[in-house]
Amino acid sequence: MNVGSETELKEENVRTTIRAKRPISRFLALAMTAGLVLAACSGSATPAPTPAPSPSGPAASTEPAASPSPSPAAELEGTISFLHKYSDPRYAPYFESVVAAYMAAHPKVTIQIQAESDQGVKDKLRILAASKQLPDIYFSWAGDFTKKFVRGELAKDLTADVTGAWKDSFTPAALDAYTYDGKLYGVPITLDAKYMAYNTKLFADNGVAVPTNLAELLAACDTFKAKGIEPIAFGNQYGWPAIHYLTQLNPYFVPAATLQKDYDPATGEFTDPGYQKALEAFADVNTHCLTKGANGISHEAAQAQFLAGKSAMHYLEAVEFFALTEKGGAPAALAANWDFFQLPAPASPAGDAGYLTGAPDGFLVNPNSQHLDIAIDFLKFLTNADNAAKLVADLGWLSPITGSATAANTFPQNVTVIENINKAKGMAIWLDTVTQIDVANAYLNGAQAMLDGTKTPAQVMDDVRAAAAKAKAESQ
Amino acid sequence: MSEASRLGRWSMLLWVAPAVVLLAVFVYYPVVDNILLSLYRWDAFSPKDVWVGLDNYVNLAADPVFWSALFNNVAYAVVSVVVQVGGGLTLAAVLEELVHGRLKGFFRTVYFIPAVISLTITGLLFQFIYNPQIGLLNQLLGGLGLGALEHSWLGESATAIWSIIAMSQWQSIGYVMVLFIVAMQRIPRELYEAAYIDGATRPQAFRRITVPLVREMSVLAMIITVSGAFLVFNEVQVMTAGGPNNSSHTLGTWLYKSAFFNDQMGYAAAIAVVIFLITITVSIVQLFLNRGKVVQY
Repeated sequence: MNVGSETELKEENVRTTIRAKRPISRFLALAMTAGLVLAACSGSATPAPTPAPSPSGPAASTEPAASPSPSPAAELEGTISFLHKYSDPRYAPYFESVVAAYMAAHPKVTIQIQAESDQGVKDKLRILAASKQLPDIYFSWAGDFTKKFVRGELAKDLTADVTGAWKDSFTPAALDAYTYDGKLYGVPITLDAKYMAYNTKLFADNGVAVPTNLAELLAACDTFKAKGIEPIAFGNQYGWPAIHYLTQLNPYFVPAATLQKDYDPATGEFTDPGYQKALEAFADVNTHCLTKGANGISHEAAQAQFLAGKSAMHYLEAVEFFALTEKGGAPAALAANWDFFQLPAPASPAGDAGYLTGAPDGFLVNPNSQHLDIAIDFLKFLTNADNAAKLVADLGWLSPITGSATAANTFPQNVTVIENINKAKGMAIWLDTVTQIDVANAYLNGAQAMLDGTKTPAQVMDDVRAAAAKAKAESQ
Repeated sequence: MSEASRLGRWSMLLWVAPAVVLLAVFVYYPVVDNILLSLYRWDAFSPKDVWVGLDNYVNLAADPVFWSALFNNVAYAVVSVVVQVGGGLTLAAVLEELVHGRLKGFFRTVYFIPAVISLTITGLLFQFIYNPQIGLLNQLLGGLGLGALEHSWLGESATAIWSIIAMSQWQSIGYVMVLFIVAMQRIPRELYEAAYIDGATRPQAFRRITVPLVREMSVLAMIITVSGAFLVFNEVQVMTAGGPNNSSHTLGTWLYKSAFFNDQMGYAAAIAVVIFLITITVSIVQLFLNRGKVVQY
C-alpha cells in the first residue's frame, strides 16, 4: 500500500528536532521568555496585605507585655489591612461604608479590605498565619480558634486598649468570649445565638403548641410528619449544623463545670455519661424531626424549604433572622408568620437549661502591625454607638454594644433575642470552635456518621475520647 | 570542538536557561522543600517547627482516612480511564465514521461544552441534581417507578464519591473525545477504504486501524486522566468537602483539610510527597511501556 512519504509510519524510536528556520522566530522566543521572566519577578496586580515582620527568636516565647497604643489624638497616618468574612453582597457594603467613613475622617489613613466567605476565611487565616502575613485586623471566632492565635503570639493583648467608656459599652458576655487567662484579645462586633425558628401559621393550623421540653418537640415533629409536613428543615453538608444541635444539647446533659474542664485540651476527657446522652438525644431529634439525607443538603437549601413554607421549623442563628423578614427577601407568607424558641431542654436536665448556644464574632489585632494605633482606633470606630446601630439597622444583626438594638431600628424578634441573651445564664460557644481541632473533628465526623447511620452515639463518643486524649498529650 | 560549535552550545544554553530557572524556582525547589517540610511537625500558628523524622509517614500509614482517600483516587483513575479514554475513543469513532454533515459539528459541540464549564459551577449544578428532596436524579427515578433507588447521593458514605466520579466523567469525556478526533483525522482515509474493500466491517476497522493508529493519543489521554484522577480536588471540595464522615476525601482534599483545618502542615506535606510519588511513577511507567512505538501499515 502506497501511503506517501509524509504519512509513512515506521516502527522505530522517533526523535524530533526543532529548527528555528528564521531569525524572527528566535526573536519571538526571546521576547516570550523575557516576558515570562519579567512577569514572574514583578509584584502582583492586586495590593498584597501588609506583611508582618517575622517574630523574633526564643525571647518572644514569653507573653508580650500589654502596652497601650499611642494616643489617637495625633493625626493618624498609614495603611492597614482589614480581613473579614462577610463577603456576602448582603453584608459587605456595611463594612465598606464604615471603612469609607473612617477614611473620610482620617484622610491620611488607608484601609485595605480583604473580604472572604465564612468557609474561605478559615484557610485564608491559616495561610496568612503560616506565611507571617496576617493583616493588621483580622476576623476570628471565639473559643479555641482565637486561642490558637494567642498561643502562637499572633494576637495582640488588648486589655490596656479596650478600657473606660469603650469597654463599658460592650455586653460583658461578649468581651468574656474573647478573654483568656484574664486578658482580652478580641473586639466583638456581633452577638449571635442559635434558635429554632418556627412557622406560626403551620403551628396554629395543625394545633401544635410551642414545645417546652425535648419530649414535646419530638411529639410536635411526629404531628407534623403525620400530616405530611417536614418538621425541621435541616441541611448538614459541611457538618456544622449538626454540631450546633450538640452545642446546645451538651450543656443540658453535662454539668457546666465538667464542660469547662473537658473543652480545655489540657484537661479534656469527655467521660461524663451525659455526653453520650446528648448524642442519643440528637439521634432522637434526627429520627423524629430532621430532613432525611441531610448530609447531602446544604444549610441554605434547607433554609429555602423553610422560607417556602414547606417546613414547620428551622434551626438557625440570630444573624440569619434577617433572611426571614420581608426586607431580607423572605416571602410575605413566611415573613409575617414566624417566631422562635430556644431548643428545648429535657424535662429534668442533668446539666443546666440556662445556657444558650451562641457566641460573638469579632476581630483580633496583629501584634506585629506597623500601625497598631490605627488598627485599634478603627476598631473603636467600628464599635461606636452609631456604627453599632447601623449594623443592626442595615444587616439585621445584633451588636454587643449595649442599647444598639431597639424597636426603632430592628424587627421585633431581634429585640426579643437581646432580652433572651441577657436572661441566659451563659453562652455555649460553638462546639467546633471551642474545642481542640481533633475533638471538633471527632464530633463533626461523628455527627455526620450518625445521620448516615454508620455510627452509633457510643462509637462517636469513643472517637471523641480518643481525640481528647491525643489533644491532652500534645498539650503537655 | 570548534569555536562555532562552542558558541552554538552556549547559545543553546542561553535560550533554555530562563525556562530552566523558572522550573527550578517554581517547580523543583517547592518539591524538594516540601519533602523537607514533611519531616517536621508544624502548623500555621506554631512559632517553631519540630523535627519528627518519618513520624508523619508512619502516621500516614496508620491513618484510615488516608487509605480511604487513596482508594477513592484509584477508583477515580480506573473509572476515568474506562469511561473517558475508552468512552471518548468510542464516541470520537462514532462521530467520525457514522455521523455526517452538520450533525457532526453539532454533536462535537454538545459533548465538548461540559469541558469548558468551570469545575466549581459544575459542582454546584450537580449538587442540585443530586439533592435528595428536589434533585433531578431522584425525581427522575421516582417518575420511572424506581423510587427504591433514590438516595441522598452526596449525603451517604456509600454513594458520595461515586456520585462525584460520575459528574467528573460527564464533564471530561468530551475533552478526551476531541483529542481523539484530532488524532483520527490524521489517519489516511485510504487505509479504511482499503480495509472495507477487503471486507472488513466497521468494528474491525476500528479495532485494527483506528485503535493502533491513535496509540500515541491514547497514551497521552491515559496520562492526563490518571494524573488528573490523583490530583482531583475542586469537584470533591465543592460538592462534599470530603464528607460525609471523610468518606469522599481524595488525597488532595485530605491534604487540604490536614493543612488548613487540622493544622497539621507537616502531615499534609507528607501526603503531598505521596501524591507526587504516585503521579510521577504512573507517568513514567506509562511512558516507558509505550515508548516510541508507532504502528506501520
